[in-house]
Amino acid sequence: MRESTKKAKEVLGRELKSRPLESLIDDMILKKITGNPSVLESEKYFEVPDKMVMFYKYSYGQQSRFFKELKDNAALYGARCRKCGIVYFPPRAQCSECYSDTEWTPVSNEGVVVSSTTVWYTTSEFFDRTPYAVGYVRPTDANTAMLQRIDLKGREFIEPGEKVIAVFKRERFGTVSDFWYEIKE
Amino acid sequence: MKSYLQLKNEGGRVAIVGTGQTKFEARIPGMTYYELAFQAAKNALADANIEPGMIDSVVYGIYNDLFERQIMPDTYIHDYLGMYGKPGTRITTGGATGGYAFRAAYADVASGLSDIAMVVGVEKAQDCYDWAQGKTTPEVLKSIAYSADMTWEFPLGVSAASSYAVLASAHMKKYGTTEEQAAMVSVKNHGNALNNPFAQSPMRITVDDVMSSRIISYPFKLLDSSLYTEGAYVLIIMNEKKVREIGVKDPVWVKGIGSSNDKSFTGLRSSIDKLGKFGDIADLRNHYKAAEEAYRMAGISNPRKEIDVAELHDAFSFTEIQAYEAMGFCERGKGGLFVEEGTASMGGDLPVSPSGGLLGAGHAVGATGVMQIGEIANQIRHKAGRRQIEIRNNNGLAHSIGGPGSSYCTVTILGGN
Repeated sequence: MRESTKKAKEVLGRELKSRPLESLIDDMILKKITGNPSVLESEKYFEVPDKMVMFYKYSYGQQSRFFKELKDNAALYGARCRKCGIVYFPPRAQCSECYSDTEWTPVSNEGVVVSSTTVWYTTSEFFDRTPYAVGYVRPTDANTAMLQRIDLKGREFIEPGEKVIAVFKRERFGTVSDFWYEIKE
Repeated sequence: MKSYLQLKNEGGRVAIVGTGQTKFEARIPGMTYYELAFQAAKNALADANIEPGMIDSVVYGIYNDLFERQIMPDTYIHDYLGMYGKPGTRITTGGATGGYAFRAAYADVASGLSDIAMVVGVEKAQDCYDWAQGKTTPEVLKSIAYSADMTWEFPLGVSAASSYAVLASAHMKKYGTTEEQAAMVSVKNHGNALNNPFAQSPMRITVDDVMSSRIISYPFKLLDSSLYTEGAYVLIIMNEKKVREIGVKDPVWVKGIGSSNDKSFTGLRSSIDKLGKFGDIADLRNHYKAAEEAYRMAGISNPRKEIDVAELHDAFSFTEIQAYEAMGFCERGKGGLFVEEGTASMGGDLPVSPSGGLLGAGHAVGATGVMQIGEIANQIRHKAGRRQIEIRNNNGLAHSIGGPGSSYCTVTILGGN
C-alpha cells in the first residue's frame, strides 16, 4: 500500500466523532414525508426534499469588547474616533469617515428612537415573539443609532422621537439580543 | 464621466437591441433556474435577431444563492446557454441586482472589451421550504433575512419588509405621508399589471382593500408589499458600431447611468455626513445621488418635464413615493401628493411602472431590475403593446434598488435618439 493511501486510511478511522448534525435534520424531514407523502409532487414534475445547512463558531474581532461588557457588566459601549470625535454605536474599531482608530467609550442607557416598525410576520425562528417593534435608537451621547428591540408595552407602534432606556436580560450570552429598550415613562 | 452628448459625438454609445422574458410567477416548479434563463435568452436573441455565437460576454444578475440552492449559479447557466469560451460574471446587489448587472454589461461594451453583451437576470425563490411548519414563505423570508448584518441586526428578527418599513415610518413622521397615499401606489401598479401578460399579480383593487389587508411590518400591509416571484429577463446590448453594421432599426440608447450606495447600517445615516445634503433616514439619499449623476450624464435638467415614463422599484408601495422625490419628479416630501394627483397613473403626465412594477408584475429579484430596464426600452421603441405610453421627449427612466435600508441604487436613462 502506498504511504499516502495508508495515511488516508488512518484519517478515515478517526474523523467522525459523532453523528453529523445534518443527518438529524434528514430524519426529521423523512418523518414529515412519511406522515404526508403528498407534500412532494411527483406527477407533473419531480420534487425531492433538500437542505443547505451551515454551522459556525465565529469571532467578534475588534468588536469583542462591546459584547464582553454587555455580557459581564450589562454596560453599553460605543467607540469614539480619536481624530474626528464621532461616537459610533454600534462601535467600530476604525472610523469610516477619516480612517483613524477609535477608542472605547461607555454610552448612556438612555436614547431616542430615530424610527421603528412593528413586525407582525417573520421567519419561523422569531414568529412566537410577534408582534414586536424594532427600531433605530440613538443613545443621548452617541452620534449614530443602532437597531434594537423596543418593548411595545401594548402599543401598536413606537413613534420616532420617543425617549427610551436600555433594559438588560438577567441571563446574557454576549449577543445583540442581550438587551432591549423600553419607553421612558 | 463622459456625457451622453460626448459619447454620441464620438460614436461611442451603447444600445439595447433585444429583450426577452419568461412569465413572472410565484413558483415555476417545472423549470430550473438555468432553464428559465435559457428561455428568456432564446426570446431576447430572437427579438434582437442575432445568433448566440455573436455574444462576446455575459453578465448574470442573480441575487441569492439560497434561493437557487446553489453557490455560483451563474457558471451553470453559462454552460447551459452554450457560452463556454466567453467571459461570464455575476452581480449580486440585493434588489438592485438587475440594475447593477446592466451597469456591468454596459461597462463591458462601452469600454470596448465586448461588442455585444447579454444581461441575464434570473431568480428562483419558492423552492425554499420550512419542513417543520410545512410552509414556503417563512423559509423564503429567512433566506432574505440572512442579508441583514449577521452580528448586529439579524438576531433581532428583522426582515426585508422591516428594513424598508423603518424608512417609511421616518418619511411619514418627517413629511406627513399617509398610508392611504401609499395604498394608491398599490392600486395603480396592480391595475397597470392587467395590461402585462407576463405579470404575476394583475388585480383591480381599491384603497380600502389595501388598507384592510393584514399588517406585515407597520406601516406595510400585505397589499403594500411585492410578492416572491420566479422568472428570468434577458437584454442584448451592443456598441454603436455594431448597431450600424447590423443595421438595427430601433436601437434604444443608454443615455445615462448613475449609481450610489448608502451606509448599510441605516442608523449611521445623518444629515451631517457625506450624503447629508440629500437628507437623513427618511430620505433615500443614495437615490437622489444616483439620479443626479444619471441626469448629468444624460443632459437632463428638468426630469419632471423631460422624462416620459419611468419604472420605479416598488418592492413596497411607500418606497415608490420616496423614489418620486429622489428622482426629482416632485418636490421633497411631496411624493404622497404626486400619486394622489394622478400624475403617475396611466394617462397621467409621467406614468410610473406601466409594467405593473414589482407589486403587479412581480419581484423575481435578479430579474427585476433587468425587467424594468427592458420595459422602458420597449416603451421607447413603441413595443409595449396595450400599455404603450405616448413618447414625447424620448426619455425613460428605470430605477433599481436593494439592500438593507435600500443601500444600493442604480438609475438608468434610456432614449431613442
